[in-house]
Amino acid sequence: MSKPIAPAGVDYAESRQHELHKTRIVMIDGNLTANTESTEGGSSARVFNKGYWGFASAPAMDDATASRVAAKAVENANTMCRFGRQPTLEMSAEAHSGEYDFNGRPPLSQKEIVDLLEELNAYCKKEYPELKSASFMMTQENHDKRLATSYGSESLQTTNRAAFYIIFAAEDQHGQPIELMETVSNRGSFADLQLSLDMLAPRMAELNRHLQAKRNAVAPRGGQQTVIIAPPLAGMLAHEAMGHPCEADAVLGGAVTANLVGKAVASELVTMVDFAHSYNGEELMIPVYVDDEGTAAKDVTLIEKGILREFMSNRETAARLGIPTSGNARAYTFNDEPLVRMRNTAILPGASKLADMIADVEDGYYLMRTGNGQADSTTEFMFGIELAYEIKNGKLGNAITNTTVSGTAINMLKTVDAVSDDMYWECNGYCGKKQPMVVSLGGPALRAQVHIGGE
Amino acid sequence: MDIRKIADRALNQLTGTGFDEALVAITVSEQDELNIILNEPNLLRSTEDYSLTLSGIVDHRKASMTLTDLNEGAIDNGVNELLDRAKLSPQDEAHTVSENQVKHIDQGPPHPDMDLLATKVEELLSFRASDTPKMNIEEGAATHRRSRTVLLTSKGTALSSDVGAYSLSVFGTASEGDQSSSFNYSGGTANDIADKHASEYFGLGQMMRETEQQIYTGSFDGNFVGDILLAPTAVSSLLGWLLSQVRDFALIADASVFKNRVGEKIASDKLTLRSQFDAPGHVAYTEDGFIAEPLTLVENGVLNFLLPSHYGSRKTGISHVPNSSGWSVDTGPAGRDELISEIPKGALVNRLSMGSPGPNGDFSGVIKNSFAISDGKLGQALSETMIAGNMAEMLNNIVDISTEHLDLGGQDFPWIRISGLNFS
Repeated sequence: MSKPIAPAGVDYAESRQHELHKTRIVMIDGNLTANTESTEGGSSARVFNKGYWGFASAPAMDDATASRVAAKAVENANTMCRFGRQPTLEMSAEAHSGEYDFNGRPPLSQKEIVDLLEELNAYCKKEYPELKSASFMMTQENHDKRLATSYGSESLQTTNRAAFYIIFAAEDQHGQPIELMETVSNRGSFADLQLSLDMLAPRMAELNRHLQAKRNAVAPRGGQQTVIIAPPLAGMLAHEAMGHPCEADAVLGGAVTANLVGKAVASELVTMVDFAHSYNGEELMIPVYVDDEGTAAKDVTLIEKGILREFMSNRETAARLGIPTSGNARAYTFNDEPLVRMRNTAILPGASKLADMIADVEDGYYLMRTGNGQADSTTEFMFGIELAYEIKNGKLGNAITNTTVSGTAINMLKTVDAVSDDMYWECNGYCGKKQPMVVSLGGPALRAQVHIGGE
Repeated sequence: MDIRKIADRALNQLTGTGFDEALVAITVSEQDELNIILNEPNLLRSTEDYSLTLSGIVDHRKASMTLTDLNEGAIDNGVNELLDRAKLSPQDEAHTVSENQVKHIDQGPPHPDMDLLATKVEELLSFRASDTPKMNIEEGAATHRRSRTVLLTSKGTALSSDVGAYSLSVFGTASEGDQSSSFNYSGGTANDIADKHASEYFGLGQMMRETEQQIYTGSFDGNFVGDILLAPTAVSSLLGWLLSQVRDFALIADASVFKNRVGEKIASDKLTLRSQFDAPGHVAYTEDGFIAEPLTLVENGVLNFLLPSHYGSRKTGISHVPNSSGWSVDTGPAGRDELISEIPKGALVNRLSMGSPGPNGDFSGVIKNSFAISDGKLGQALSETMIAGNMAEMLNNIVDISTEHLDLGGQDFPWIRISGLNFS
């Protein structure tokens, strides 16, 4: 990677070199169906001039390519002037320089990975003969970004994460296929997950226990219900339901949060933050010290004790809204322009004990695992629920069939009457918004009222 | 750049290094994208991308790698690394490469008309200002993309394509005072976007009008069982589940409800699902190197095929039917308004926001950008409304299919009336 040079003679410019290395390995019931590595690297330049943006990229990182894409970005910004004059936008000229690398464990060899998968497959065949299949998927990705801006930022930043997925399939009481998935994720490479049979055996036992319970699952009652939202779901709730509507581009686009700053949007037990890089003095899974516009990344307190406080921004949206830049501008590959994206978004833990929260529920549901989630500009959200149990008189009952929960976050979060003292982080999966993005999600358990899909 | 020459050399490197069988695939793409942000032209983005996939099999052991660097040194290093990785992979007799598939595909406009892209952006913005001023286009784009591909195997396959296409898209919300609609979007791909006003492509104008009608919403009182009219933009949720059930993961993991149903009726006889592998922007060959001939997956409700890859076929013993992306559903005899008029209670569903249905098809989801139907009349926009059911049962509960259809390029679907959904 050579040192990028931002194009001159324009209102603002940035030049980025970005290399992304990915590995994906899949074993389905003992068959290695995917064993792929990919490396994509390239140069991009983005220019703001006379009120318009120009962007260009190409898949090489030599000086000649960097110069070529810089010239094309300037040309593209100038081409946009055909649409007429735009008002001047006074963007923050803040600059930040630094190098932020990560030295994890030495990477696993191909042999170590294949040996582990074959050991796990053999173990499952022996220990869980009742399964129809056991599948394992491993993904890791490493981003190295070098950035220079016309405001004087110069940075090098590494982002890496790895995830391991266990998928068990069985038949339910009616002979229909059912599945459950367990995930392990962290910063770094496969080696940093510290995977081994000893480490994974208890997780697989737990996964099988839940799957066997799900074989006799009952349908949930549709409608408004009291639920305990387990920590992995609370992180998803934070990200989807309130995170996206607090991105400054969504705010400018008409999200309901635009008019709610300083107003109550949640119970006073709820505080929610998009952390830049650290929490409680420890580095998080997706640390961002400087964003892809060369702005220092700062924590953004979205909700403080129930009150909506701040939005996440990039240079342009901060200028349009008259708020500080927060360092949330992130691009997924060298071909992508930076967008306002979350980093490590979490609801902060409270003082309650999860066991006590369940014990206090007379009739409700314990929602444990989600497959995916989506949210809206109105804060209306939905999560697919793949594992949940009934709660009857303070005790867990039957597993329930796959369902979906929904609500409007600014109403639902006001019903939160207990927040556990747990804190669970994960960084598997992608956030989707024109481009994919790696993020981490964190949260404790919450007790609230939500709408459950069902009969 | 002569990508055939690069692919030939890479294939020779793979076989010369010791692989028994090999596959090389190169894609070179260029894209020009004119972006609207917050109701204004904002960004012109031009990107180039290279992708080289090397795949090798040695002693029935396989590994694959993808690079963006097409220089000889990078490819040679990749080939050597790939051999080391493949030798450490488990043996699997099902691994092989395609044989003697030869075809070249030219399709769509190879070069962008930048004036046309600018005109389409101006048309979208003028339509918004004049017809739907409450609609905020948070993101929109007029795009041209060209992809050139070559795929070679050591068993004589030589496939190539040069495909260009235009796309239009709009994403945003409508608002009035403190009230906002849910976000809404539409978009699609075509070989030409010059014939009509931009708002008339891919249902963009209709979507923007409907979004304005979704600022103020209501919901049903209580739970009930009713019908839905699934709009073309939501049909992919249903068909996506069907396709997931007939492809590799579900078949190899023995988790498909349709694994033993070929030749049987799995859906209403009103449903016929055909391939559209040559849709704009699509290439009618598979990534494992097979020409994807047109096929009818479901014909009058009967499942004609399963769709494993070549590997999946050899693994499961199920017949190999090469297939790519791009599907269409046959239209029916009744108009969309007639279908609405026959629904006593239910909803017009434009989008389903839901978790992945279970392998048995059970699902529940929030219906978004949708409208209530009562006594055959379209009513208010809905919020916080969920439906629950089973995808396999939905296929069988198709009551009727509309004459009208919406072609998004690779997804050409009509409106489909389905009964028996649980509303809550």
